[in-house]
Amino acid sequence: MLILRTLQWGPQHGHGIGLAIRAGTEAVLQIDHGSLYPALHRLEKQGWLAAEWKVTENKQRAKYYRLTTSGKRQLAAERSRWRQIVGAIGRIMDPA
Amino acid sequence: MSWLSRLFRRGTADADLDDEIRFHLDQEVQLRVDRGEPRDHARHGARRDFGNVIVVMEATRQMWGWTPMALIDDLKHAYRRLRSRPAMMLTAASMLALGVGLTTGMFTVIDALMLRPAPFRDPDRLANLMMLTPNGGRTDVSPAVLEAWRANSAFAAAEGATTETSLIDTSTGPRVAASARVSPGMFAMLGTPPIRGRGFDPTDGRPGTDDRVLLSEDVWRSVFGADPNLVGQRVTIDGASMLVIGLMPAGFRFPEWNTVLWKPIDFSAPPPTLTGEPPRPQAYVRVASGVPIDDALRVATVAARRVDSSIPATAQATSQPLAGVALDPYYRRAIPLLGGGVGLVFLVLCANVGSLLLARLTARQQEFRMCSALGASRARLLREALLEHGLLGVGSVGLGVALAWGLVSLARAFLPTAFLVSTLHPIDLDPRALVVAVAAGLVATLAAGVLPAWMGTRPDRTSSLTSAARVGAESRGTRTLTRALLVAELALACTLLVGATLLVRSFINLASVDLGLHAEGVLTAWIALPAKGFPDRPSRVAITAALEDNIRHLPGVDNIALSTGLPPRGGTTYFSDHWRGDGPDARPLKMTVSGYGVGPDFFELYGIPLLAGRTFQAGDGPDDVIVGERLAARLWPGQNPVGRTFHFDNDRLGGHVVGLAREIRFPSLETSRDHPEFYQPFELGGGNVDMNIRCRDRCPDEAVVRRQVLATVPGANIARLGLLSDIYREELARPRGAAALGSTFALIAVLAAAGGLFSVLTYAVGRRRREFGIRTALGASPAQIRRLVFRDGAGVAALGVGVGILASAALARVISSVEYGVTGFDPVTWGLVLGVLAATTVLASWRPAHRAMRVDPVALLREE
Repeated sequence: MLILRTLQWGPQHGHGIGLAIRAGTEAVLQIDHGSLYPALHRLEKQGWLAAEWKVTENKQRAKYYRLTTSGKRQLAAERSRWRQIVGAIGRIMDPA
Repeated sequence: MSWLSRLFRRGTADADLDDEIRFHLDQEVQLRVDRGEPRDHARHGARRDFGNVIVVMEATRQMWGWTPMALIDDLKHAYRRLRSRPAMMLTAASMLALGVGLTTGMFTVIDALMLRPAPFRDPDRLANLMMLTPNGGRTDVSPAVLEAWRANSAFAAAEGATTETSLIDTSTGPRVAASARVSPGMFAMLGTPPIRGRGFDPTDGRPGTDDRVLLSEDVWRSVFGADPNLVGQRVTIDGASMLVIGLMPAGFRFPEWNTVLWKPIDFSAPPPTLTGEPPRPQAYVRVASGVPIDDALRVATVAARRVDSSIPATAQATSQPLAGVALDPYYRRAIPLLGGGVGLVFLVLCANVGSLLLARLTARQQEFRMCSALGASRARLLREALLEHGLLGVGSVGLGVALAWGLVSLARAFLPTAFLVSTLHPIDLDPRALVVAVAAGLVATLAAGVLPAWMGTRPDRTSSLTSAARVGAESRGTRTLTRALLVAELALACTLLVGATLLVRSFINLASVDLGLHAEGVLTAWIALPAKGFPDRPSRVAITAALEDNIRHLPGVDNIALSTGLPPRGGTTYFSDHWRGDGPDARPLKMTVSGYGVGPDFFELYGIPLLAGRTFQAGDGPDDVIVGERLAARLWPGQNPVGRTFHFDNDRLGGHVVGLAREIRFPSLETSRDHPEFYQPFELGGGNVDMNIRCRDRCPDEAVVRRQVLATVPGANIARLGLLSDIYREELARPRGAAALGSTFALIAVLAAAGGLFSVLTYAVGRRRREFGIRTALGASPAQIRRLVFRDGAGVAALGVGVGILASAALARVISSVEYGVTGFDPVTWGLVLGVLAATTVLASWRPAHRAMRVDPVALLREE
């Protein structure tokens, strides 16, 4: 979900996605940068992401991922489920 | 590394992933450098934060699922693993290939012989029609019957054919060719037009138009060097000048498999160059469309009886297919038997390969456990094992097809003509055979590969990695499966061995029958004199005497005897219910007897001894006969036949016995062909002369004799000329072929079963080394250990043979009904089979047992 969310603002390559996720969660989620890639490839296979190869300014091939329509739908669905869970947990933890 | 080479080395997907990760690392390094870290430090940091690159790549690849790239990788992997055990894999592949090759080869032969319909237009409506009584009868019909059928609306066409051999004069010398005389409409009825020139005109084959000939493309190529101008030229055939009017395609075979030359004949008005007796054709008909075959046969029966009073009242029109072996009861039963034999060999080989593969996978249990521990799923292991076996299957189909090709070429070159004559198809590997090969390979792979893969990759949850090497026994599933496969193998081998032994014994029986005469070094010929030029008996007697004299003076000829009827079939066949001797209590007997008319030197030429009485003298008439032993024993049991008389055919015919001769035997699978016989003095009747020529050292060339006959009697028709021993040999060809094939199958099966037993026992001993060590340490003697292994082998063998005996008993009954002089419960056969199998079991268990004996408990302890 984090990946899908990151790509909401436009196509990005793997490193960029990682940076964005780290920027938001730096201290909390300490994961290997590499573990991003299996997830990216899985999402691509499921059809939620599409990828294309571009050449960067310093002539390197880079793979850019972008959200597909079904990916956007998935993001919306996951987000609403996330809200429900958060809401439910919140009510249990801090009963008003 | 250029983009192109990357593509070829590892495939794009892998390269892309590589690039993607490298790009990530570069970006990270750049980021850190920009942040002020030294480049070295930055690189390390990037790597550290990324985690294990290889693990990430592997995890990512798994996300792709199963792609064609992965399949190719798996295939490569499988190939490498197959190559790592070359001996074992070669054995497995060659056994499968042998199975596939034999099956395909056999199918090709059976297909050509039995399965395919005749290669003519709409073959289902074509039939060879004959008037047969329940006891059999003549397969040919009189020209009047043929005419009646042709005129009948139940048939779209009715044509006739007779076969003979002809001598073609070529620039390099005379060539003998199988030929046929066919009625002019034959080719139109079959639906095969000539490839060059024209077919016969409806008026061909009458006096004046009988000098036309059609040749096979084969003859055109091999004899006339594919001369483009041959059609329209005259060639000399049987001493007469004939006009070549057309060429038939090389694949066209009719009415026999080797007919290459066709002459026209109008059977109702045969040209006078033929003998006085009108030729009787085989009748071939095309049933009119819309008429059921049974109705057509009923109509044909009525029509034939109306025009031919000589047809027995019980005779019915009977149809036989044009191609195939329906005519011959031996083929009808022997070929399915041999086909079944191939099937059994195929199964034995599959079972063997199956147990081999299972043993191999079981030996790799350790490796599989390791893979499982590293996260490989069962499906993944199974996929790898199946791929390996599939690869093996594909390889063996390739090898098998090559083998089948070799076998079929061999069969074509060496199969006795008796095996080939029944097919109008060339025996050749064709798409149908390839389909069978692939199907056989698929079945073999499934049978031999899938079950072992399933069993072999089954995770063994009870034993952990460390204890795996020390498991003291075979796993139960594996044990049951290998033993079951072995039992099946041995049972099949036992069945095949019994079958083969019976076939061989039948052949030996047949080959060792005392013929009753010296057949070696004798040429026999059957010649028909032309009616033209020899209209009356004196002229025929004169020309026959001249012929006899001319042949006698050929170099290499020792003696010659004219006769009516040639051994071993005899001349006139007398069938009667009323054979009666002259004894006071003689009752009429039902018998078929061969009658020979023999010239003065006949008995001497063949070395047939006279057992009583005298040979023929001048002045003996047709009523003075010499009887064979068997006829004498039937008519006058236990009495001297000389001086007695006998009658048959309602006492209309008979004879006065002047001598008793040794019996001529005709050893044949069809025992009904071997009749008792009697002899009369030779007297030339019509235009048929049979010659028996005893050679001095080497027989003169067939073509030389033909030349001499044609030089003496221009226009003579030589219906048969050849070595007498060839006739006997031809009779032996089929049982010999069957025995040879059967023995080969049995040998393969026994060897495979022995190999299977050996490898399974060796493997079992390997697995049970710990057990044997402990037993030895506890005081078991080596002999006891050996007994343990032998008991394992012998138990399997006994079970296999037990099952095999049941199957063999059924097979033996079938075989003894087709073969000569063998019974299903032949003690020699069974003794031999059991002996061979027992010896095989002992031999196969010997080395494994000795290995088990030599297990040293101390060494074993040290290993652990």
